[in-house]
Amino acid sequence: MEFKYVGKSITRPDAVKKITGKAIFLNDIKLPGMLHAAILRPDYAHAKILSIDTSAAEKCEGVVKVVTGRGCKILYGDNIRDLVPMAVDKVRYIGEPLAAVIAEKPYQAKQALKEIKVEYEPLPVLTDALQALEKDAVLVHENSGDYWHLPGLGPIQGTNIANLYKLKKGDAEKGFKDADVVVEAEFNYPHGSSCAIEPHGAIAWFHEDKTIECWSSSICPFIIREELARVYGRPSSDVRVHIPELGGCFGYKSDITVEQTVAYIASFVPGRPVKWVASRREDFTSTLLGHGIRTRMKIGAKKDGRLTAMETRVYHSTGAYADTGIHVCIAAGHNSAGAYEIPNCDLQAYLMYTNQPAVGAYRGYGHQESQFATERMMDMLARKLKMDPFELRAKNYLGPGKKTAVGETLCEVNGDVTKCVDIVKKAIYGKKQEKKEDDKYFYGRGFAALMKTPKGAPNSAKGCYLKFNQDGSVCINMGGAEVGQGLRTVVQQVAAECLMIPPERIKVYTEIDTQFSPWEWQTIGSMFTTQGGRAVVRCCEKAIKMMKKTAAQALRVDLDMLDYNGKCVYLKNDPTVNVPLEGLVYGYMYPNGMTVGEVVQSSDAARLPRYSNPDENGQGTMGVSHTFGAQGCEIRIDKETGEVLVDHFASAFDVGRVINARQIRGQVAGGVMMALGATLHEELKFDKDGKMLNPFMKKYRFPTIKNRPKKQTIEFVETPETIGPFGARGIGEHPVIGVAPSILNAIYDATGIEFTQIPVTPEKMKEALKARK
Amino acid sequence: MSEKITLTVNGTKRSVEIDGWERLLDVLRDKLDLTGAKRGCDDVACGACTVVVNGEAKKSCSLPAKRCDGAEIVTIEGLASGTEVHPIQQALIEAGAVQCGYCTPGIVMSLYALFTKNLNASEDEIEDVLEGHLCRCTGYEAIWEGALLAQKLLKKNKKK
Repeated sequence: MEFKYVGKSITRPDAVKKITGKAIFLNDIKLPGMLHAAILRPDYAHAKILSIDTSAAEKCEGVVKVVTGRGCKILYGDNIRDLVPMAVDKVRYIGEPLAAVIAEKPYQAKQALKEIKVEYEPLPVLTDALQALEKDAVLVHENSGDYWHLPGLGPIQGTNIANLYKLKKGDAEKGFKDADVVVEAEFNYPHGSSCAIEPHGAIAWFHEDKTIECWSSSICPFIIREELARVYGRPSSDVRVHIPELGGCFGYKSDITVEQTVAYIASFVPGRPVKWVASRREDFTSTLLGHGIRTRMKIGAKKDGRLTAMETRVYHSTGAYADTGIHVCIAAGHNSAGAYEIPNCDLQAYLMYTNQPAVGAYRGYGHQESQFATERMMDMLARKLKMDPFELRAKNYLGPGKKTAVGETLCEVNGDVTKCVDIVKKAIYGKKQEKKEDDKYFYGRGFAALMKTPKGAPNSAKGCYLKFNQDGSVCINMGGAEVGQGLRTVVQQVAAECLMIPPERIKVYTEIDTQFSPWEWQTIGSMFTTQGGRAVVRCCEKAIKMMKKTAAQALRVDLDMLDYNGKCVYLKNDPTVNVPLEGLVYGYMYPNGMTVGEVVQSSDAARLPRYSNPDENGQGTMGVSHTFGAQGCEIRIDKETGEVLVDHFASAFDVGRVINARQIRGQVAGGVMMALGATLHEELKFDKDGKMLNPFMKKYRFPTIKNRPKKQTIEFVETPETIGPFGARGIGEHPVIGVAPSILNAIYDATGIEFTQIPVTPEKMKEALKARK
Repeated sequence: MSEKITLTVNGTKRSVEIDGWERLLDVLRDKLDLTGAKRGCDDVACGACTVVVNGEAKKSCSLPAKRCDGAEIVTIEGLASGTEVHPIQQALIEAGAVQCGYCTPGIVMSLYALFTKNLNASEDEIEDVLEGHLCRCTGYEAIWEGALLAQKLLKKNKKK
């Protein structure tokens, strides 16, 4: 199939505004009469609040109001309604909002915070899922059984279990009996932060006419709208949410995070907008974390390498509130089967309340944590079987006719893992390794296969409004959040291809405003290209049909005699008989001024086909768009410093169709780097009292340009997906999935050291090398 | 305590009342309406706030504003002329180095300071400068290519 615009590296339409510093991000917004909030965080990670004395703070210069959670009855959440905008009678984590000062200037609010006096009664602190599971563990939520939750999930009253997901496929017990070899290990993917360079922030404004307006650095304006409307008893149509440019997301700006807190604060000063922007410390302690997942895994196999059974236990330290972590945990459960068909599965995932900031979405969530275990285990199993790890994997890959862990049968359109494997194998293992060791370094190579399931939800649709303008140019408006990933270009290129109009004549929306934008669930799960792209295709097809109908009237022919070419609608047998687009978009006008036909504006939406909630055994349908890939690396380990240096990192994904060649490379290169950060540098650490030890970029060891791989091979397989536009699947999250296991497999190859935890920092590497001697 | 300082910002002389503790970034963003420089961290790690002060790239979030009295400042808003972007900006766009765009203005300003001082900066020197800028989107690959392309474009322009 030849494409004119799809697959080309067109320049993103927001590039010039961003590079001239003129793109408007949340913190750049100033509103008339705007006040500023600062939020007090507790001294303890778990404590009863005995008293809060705000009297001195109220007298400070510029202070308009001091707010506490006293008497607040608001509970919110999209999955489990366990969240509070501000601590009421106890604090559950170190970053929790405890009180807030609203002042004329930001520094006045911050100064006055220091004057608030709080008395606490400290409670025992939980900082790990396994600790929270212990029989006599203190309860983070005493009445968790009372919380509203979606059907089929939710907390177990009297425990710290916020949800227990169970998947049963076949008979795992029998599968392990049939196995000749069994391997078992525990892995840990500790807490991290998406750590976008733009921190979270929001502005809330309760107007005198009882409407509510909110600006947020979020990717889910409609969830914010609906939740604010519910909490404050307004119709959704009275809540207006604006999303300006977003300075990165990587997961943690999804779901409702800081907005309810800012709205609660602003509700005390109706008539005036209140702005709050997180400091970097608050971005770490008081928004959403990633990961925090321990995975215990057992795999059984026959001598010939065929897998017989898998048992997985995921223990997720999800933090003080579970609403945002629940899907992370469920995904880690069923995705632990990875890219393989395993006939018998017993997978369980424990979502555990702890006294830490809540975990939420992080690029690839549920996949990288659990498949870190799977892909390390495949190498371990291969060694036990004395089998080539590529051969072992090849015997078990999912593919057409094979059944996933959730019981879904895959088809050819779901993509081809073996083609991805071949690319990476050739890139990394294509030539013989020159040496394993020299004076300065150990050398190693590693590999991981991966599978990404689609992230659906009931009715998780994406909408699109398209309108033709008088001159035949086009405006497209959608609710998908541009966080840097490049979805505006996807919309532009897909529409250009469908409408046969050059991309520069197609203007894509620059901000989301729930008053004008079509509905979208939220921009998560690498689903925009597939679902949003399909919505664009549908709108384009509708618009073309409208123009043809009008032309049929104007030219007095039947509809099927006509064709469309991006410039005009013409008679198939005689193209000289035609009506140009300009004569159709607002209807066809006869010489006497009488006008017929529709105004060419179309609207549509798309969702994942046949997505279903899992049944009691965790079986269901994920909604078609699975993606396979493979990643591998060549590394060097500095004997003296213990530093792991990545000489070459290779990634291949079956993306169905490349929409923008340059941008898709950027997505993969960025994803690999982000996961290299998690694998080798980044970890958010807590002490036993639940205090975060390193909530700063430098101490969190955010990777710099000097940490990048020397070389990245990035290639794509294109097995078209039937539901995506021109066959395209998503790619945003996938590049992070196979990084940790491939690096750690390479470390084993280089040194024989079996790491089961990340990050493998130079200090840890040095220690392990020393212990080996 | 409030005091008055005078800055030359992007070629225009501007007097501004400041509080003693205020940083240059606060003054630029809140008092001079130049919001192109961004705040991203608390520990001078990210570089999103970088502007050029008397020819040197500075992280404006930690620079006391009163120390800038009389200084010549160039911000991201001062680089493009009309609808024509600066060659450094053009190069970064061409290389695909702009994704979310939050770290981008700071990177542009650091490269501007570097290449203004030394157009023949070595790859090591360029990498040292870029090490002071954190980016979560690109994996640095496109930024690196953009920086090299920028140097090439600037050299070409100089020959003309």
